[in-house]
Amino acid sequence: MSDIIRRDPRREWIARNRLHPLHDSVANAVQGEVRGPSGLLRKNPHQVGSIGPNGLKRIDRLKGNAVAGVGNKRSAANQETVLPLHKVDNPDFYIVVVPDMIGGRLSGHDKDILGLAHTMTSTIEGTGAVVAVCFGESKEAHYDLAGVDRLIHLSASEYEGFAPEARLTALTHIEAQLAPKHWLFPDSIHGGSDLGSRLAARLGERPATQAWQVSSEKTVCRGAGGSLDITRQTPRILMLLEECGEAIDETRHEALAIEVDGISVSEPALQDKGLMDVDPSAIPLAEAEFILSAGNGIHNWDQFHKAATILGATEGASRVAVDDGFMPRFRQVGATGTWVTARVYLAVGISGAIQHMQGIGQCDKVVAINTDAGCDMVKRAALSVIGDSEEILAELMLLAQARKKGSQEEQSDAA
Amino acid sequence: MVIDWLPSILIVVLLALGVIGALRRISLWRAGQPEKVNLIAGLMAMPGRYLNDLHHVVERDKYMSRTHVATAGGFVLSMVLVIAVYVFHVEQKIVAWLLLGALVLMLCGAFFVFKRRLNPPSRLSKGPWMRLPKSLITFALTFIVLTLPVAGVLPEGFGGVLLTLILSVGVIIGLGELIFGMGWGGPMKHAFAGALHLAFHRRPERFGGGRSTGLKPAPLGDESHGVAKPSDFKWNQLLGFDACVQCGKCEAMCPAFAAGQPLNPKKLIQDMVVGLAGGTDAKYAGSPYPGKEVGHAKGGANNIITAGLIEADTLWSCTTCRACVEECPMMIEHVDAIVDMRRFLTMEKGDTPNKGSEVLENIIATDNPNGYAPGSRTNWAADQNLPVIKEKKQADVLFWVSDGAFDMRSQRILRSFVKLMKAANVDVAILGDEERDSGDVARRLGDDATFQSLAKRNLATLSQYSFKKIVTTDPHAYHCLRNEYADFDTEGALKGVEVLHHTTFLNQLVQAGALKLDTFKGGKVTYHDPCYLGRYNGEYEAPRDLLRSLGIEVAEMERSRFRSRCCGGGGGAPITDIPGERRIADMRMEDVTATGAELVAVGCQQCTAMLEGVVEPRPEVKDIAEILAGQLIEEVH
Amino acid sequence: MQPNVVSLVSIGRHPQSGRARRAEQDGRGVELGLKLAGEKLSVLHVGNPEEPVLRQYVGMGLPAMTVLKQDETADAVPALSDYLQQEKIDIVLTGVRSESGESSGMVPYLLAEKLGWPVVARVADIVSIKDGVAEVLLALPRGQRRSVTVKLPFIASVDNAAAPARQSAFGPGQRARMESVNTHGEVDQIRVNWQEAPAKPRPKRLKTVKAKTAADRFKAATAKPQGGSGKVMKNESAAEKAKAIFDLLIEENVIR
Ligand SMILES: Cc1cc2nc3c(=O)[nH]c(=O)nc-3n(C[C@H](O)[C@H](O)[C@H](O)COP(=O)(O)OP(=O)(O)OC[C@H]3O[C@@H](n4cnc5c(N)ncnc54)[C@H](O)[C@@H]3O)c2cc1C
Ligand code: SF4
Ligand code: SF4
Repeated sequence: MSDIIRRDPRREWIARNRLHPLHDSVANAVQGEVRGPSGLLRKNPHQVGSIGPNGLKRIDRLKGNAVAGVGNKRSAANQETVLPLHKVDNPDFYIVVVPDMIGGRLSGHDKDILGLAHTMTSTIEGTGAVVAVCFGESKEAHYDLAGVDRLIHLSASEYEGFAPEARLTALTHIEAQLAPKHWLFPDSIHGGSDLGSRLAARLGERPATQAWQVSSEKTVCRGAGGSLDITRQTPRILMLLEECGEAIDETRHEALAIEVDGISVSEPALQDKGLMDVDPSAIPLAEAEFILSAGNGIHNWDQFHKAATILGATEGASRVAVDDGFMPRFRQVGATGTWVTARVYLAVGISGAIQHMQGIGQCDKVVAINTDAGCDMVKRAALSVIGDSEEILAELMLLAQARKKGSQEEQSDAA
Repeated sequence: MVIDWLPSILIVVLLALGVIGALRRISLWRAGQPEKVNLIAGLMAMPGRYLNDLHHVVERDKYMSRTHVATAGGFVLSMVLVIAVYVFHVEQKIVAWLLLGALVLMLCGAFFVFKRRLNPPSRLSKGPWMRLPKSLITFALTFIVLTLPVAGVLPEGFGGVLLTLILSVGVIIGLGELIFGMGWGGPMKHAFAGALHLAFHRRPERFGGGRSTGLKPAPLGDESHGVAKPSDFKWNQLLGFDACVQCGKCEAMCPAFAAGQPLNPKKLIQDMVVGLAGGTDAKYAGSPYPGKEVGHAKGGANNIITAGLIEADTLWSCTTCRACVEECPMMIEHVDAIVDMRRFLTMEKGDTPNKGSEVLENIIATDNPNGYAPGSRTNWAADQNLPVIKEKKQADVLFWVSDGAFDMRSQRILRSFVKLMKAANVDVAILGDEERDSGDVARRLGDDATFQSLAKRNLATLSQYSFKKIVTTDPHAYHCLRNEYADFDTEGALKGVEVLHHTTFLNQLVQAGALKLDTFKGGKVTYHDPCYLGRYNGEYEAPRDLLRSLGIEVAEMERSRFRSRCCGGGGGAPITDIPGERRIADMRMEDVTATGAELVAVGCQQCTAMLEGVVEPRPEVKDIAEILAGQLIEEVH
Repeated sequence: MQPNVVSLVSIGRHPQSGRARRAEQDGRGVELGLKLAGEKLSVLHVGNPEEPVLRQYVGMGLPAMTVLKQDETADAVPALSDYLQQEKIDIVLTGVRSESGESSGMVPYLLAEKLGWPVVARVADIVSIKDGVAEVLLALPRGQRRSVTVKLPFIASVDNAAAPARQSAFGPGQRARMESVNTHGEVDQIRVNWQEAPAKPRPKRLKTVKAKTAADRFKAATAKPQGGSGKVMKNESAAEKAKAIFDLLIEENVIR
């Protein structure tokens, strides 16, 4: 996209003219509609104005008129901004967050919870510090920017990988040492809800699970299979859904290490035997996250299978491809086949009959490769390319191979 | 002299053996479950049923009907006379001449049977059936020669001992096949069992031009549900199986067989016979279930059918299209038997294949097969301004929307129909969210418990309102409401209510001049008879009348009306989806294409879905309501 | 040796109709139990023995099930742990989360804590049981699996990735025995104070733009919203089209 800023004199004029019927929409356009975790429509005070290049908040009282002043392109966007440091010296209480740390890094879910922890801290009397407890090897470089005031990093090998019991023992120690006001866990399948439930059971606390609107007083959580909102007093232990809070992005935090000593981990009852090697083509269709699906528009089947392997996709098929004997029956997607939930569904040469569409109703992103721009699959797809399947698959395979090579070189460079 | 007496003795002995065999056969049928039948009335009605109803079916094949009349008529007459002459020694010449006449008639018939058997079509069974014409001829010739002296044509004692011996062999062969074989399971069994089957048929309403197509309710709450073993059938169902002549008319019509799915209705009935008598299918000499070898099936009256006699896939291949039943000269009820056995698989074994269990679970939990929110049933009509009967309490016409309400394609049909009703100012209302699945699919999949629960709840809803007609665009719901709900309608919710298919209703409107329609200017049009509208309910004319009213001359397919080939969508077949070599819908589309039509009109959302599921290019598929709505001249007020 | 397995079942709730049904995960739990223990599997429910949905569980081919009779408002855990303590049990199977009530998923953990057994969460399969040790496959996202061994006895919560529950048959379900055991439930005091309401749809988080310069701000204000109908590429070269797809795959993080 071009970085040249173009003026829109009409807009500027509207922004200047407070009596113009569109004035409000132009002047406030930046703000959008924001819903707080309490579900209420809020004006986000942080969004009034913006953070200036020097890291200070600036409220633009000119309501966008300032644009006029920025006539030329600046490199301000590239400048490292130094955010103000949030210091907690002698905390009165702690709120402990146990992030999932998928792949050793804080996930978006983790960051939301850290943000929420700060929102909670600010409404509780006294000064609170947000503590993150991280297990195993950590690749995270920016605990400070995510809102971690204190960090407990337990990197001993017994916490590595799948070790819920060892981690639980550590958490009970932390409980004894810090007596946190709240324990926050992501309610996730990455271990958060397991660990949270274990701690709650051990401490005899009644946790809130699937919580999504949380203040220091009240918590709303989902119940009855997600069909119910239960409003209750905020308990000590919470397992939180995604987007339960806003991640920290305007402050830096100390991320001071806290040492926890004297944890003695006993032999776990659950012995981790490691991850199974799961071949993408062996993943059940219903669980696959990326499906390359073939229809009547595939003429080169060898190429199709090769493409699936190179892209690391699970294979799917339309009924016609199955009927014609090119694909096995358990690969059929649709009303009489499997209903899939893939995040990306790449439909190659599939016209998009209703019965097929039923099976991909829950797919996030559908991509179509088809010669017919008018077919129903193209109407459904987020991205459609019109052209011969064989040609486009060939190009795709080239790209995938090039990328693989690239990342290999990168690795060997790093080594 | 003993030799002179030999033929008479043989006749008596064979007759006696035949009677013993017949009694044994009867005892096999009696292993079945009791079913109340009026024995006397049935026997009295039997000749009439044979001459009218059965003959009516046989008459579709003129060659065979004449052959059969000659052979069977000649045989019955000559057998009576043979007994008179040779057992009771009625010595009048005239009787002997009569006998000769009957025998010659039979001989002519037998000759034509022989001719047909020279190069038999594949649907006919071979094996013992190939020998039947020879046995018939032997019988006729033997008794002709035997009777000539009695009639005075040849001198008494002609030919001496040798001829008598030869003739005795002929008597043994002829009567062995025709009388002994009748009781002991030879091809001639069909005459004996067939006659009794006509007398004690489970659906006597079918005789005299009537129609009886609704499935019988399954009793619930017993030790077992459905038919697990041959002895779980009603006795007269077992009798019915025994009546099969292995003519293969059913096989020739069966869409599943043609598609290479593992079903052959003739073999199925024969396997039932194996089951009721015990043994294996090694002697079966007809077409197998496609893809399955003959000779491995074993069964007995008290053995589980699906454990060795018939594979479950065979039962699940059936689309319940009733083409076999319609075609069967012996009026055997294949569909009843198949659904009875499915009931066991679903209600006792929990073994409905493929998406079956999911669909049933959805129906139980949401009252529709795809598990949509019941509260969204009326979403399609948000812009239709249709009154809901809950608010009106009464209407002339209650529009039964059916589960098409959830399906975008079917909604086009629903909207078209609403448009037409509005144009004709019909006082109509819908049940809205109070409507539930009719239970059709659940019932055909063998889950009668769920069907009955739906039927009762639907009836309870219907009984709260008053209306004169129920009209529906879905022939399956139409069939349930019209033919199957009566068994559960204790409150009389449907009493005095006319249940109509939308084509019938629209035809009434058009005939009454309530709809102004433009002539249709598109290309050639053909019409596909939905099974549940045609064969199940006898409505062949209204859809054609409607098309005619648009000026369309229907280019009929070779298989149309009562011989219409199923689209493959009935009986839950698309749900159980048993693999074959072809798709039934593809074959039907070939039938359509063969007429050169550019548009195929249908009267069913299921047919629409099935035919539109055929890969393009293919003719367009439209419901009659859609075609009419397209030609509607809307009055501008 | 056939292990002693108990599957705990609850009353599910159909997500569309809200009607009672056989709960998805509990059904899978019974299925897994049937695989491990065959007909000897015990199925256990706390609540009302008259509840018709229970027939759907026994309809999976069980001659009987046990119901700890208790009021609906009562807490199921004490009754369960009392009962489980009495029997000699190797494996207790539950769902991850119930479909009705609080759906907290705490039951297996609380039971494990009370009984002092290990708990394994999100089980996809129990592969083998040998010498008192079970090999268990845990379900991870994207069809991945982790293998874990655990000594008997233990509690396992069964994930949606486990083998689906077999069809429930009407006849056996109707005929199965419901063995009802009276228990004295304690009313769940904490829950009494909760307020419950139908779930509100959660607003999707809007992408708030935190512009660093006034120019960015203005750009964000005037930019056309993304999304809507899909992008269709017709006249570009095959390589460009493939690149567009490839970029999407990378953006969606399905290519690694
Ligand atoms: C009861 C019932 C159940 C059914 N259940 C299912 C089901 O579960 N799953 C299912 O998939 N179907 C199902 N169907 C079948 C469905 O209706 C369609 O027939 C089927 O999905 C069509 O498959 P297709 O898109 O591969 O073939 P087609 O409809 O033939 O489409 C092929 C597409 O490929 C494109 N194409 C052709 N050549 C090329 C090329 N060189 N490069 C790129 N594109 C090309 C064409 O433009 C066309 O859009 C069912 C049908 C019925 C009646
Ligand atoms: S009802 Fe139709 S599909 Fe079933 S056996 Fe008869 S002809 Fe075949
Ligand atoms: S069942 Fe009927 S149609 Fe089929 S072979 Fe037997 S007699 Fe003929």
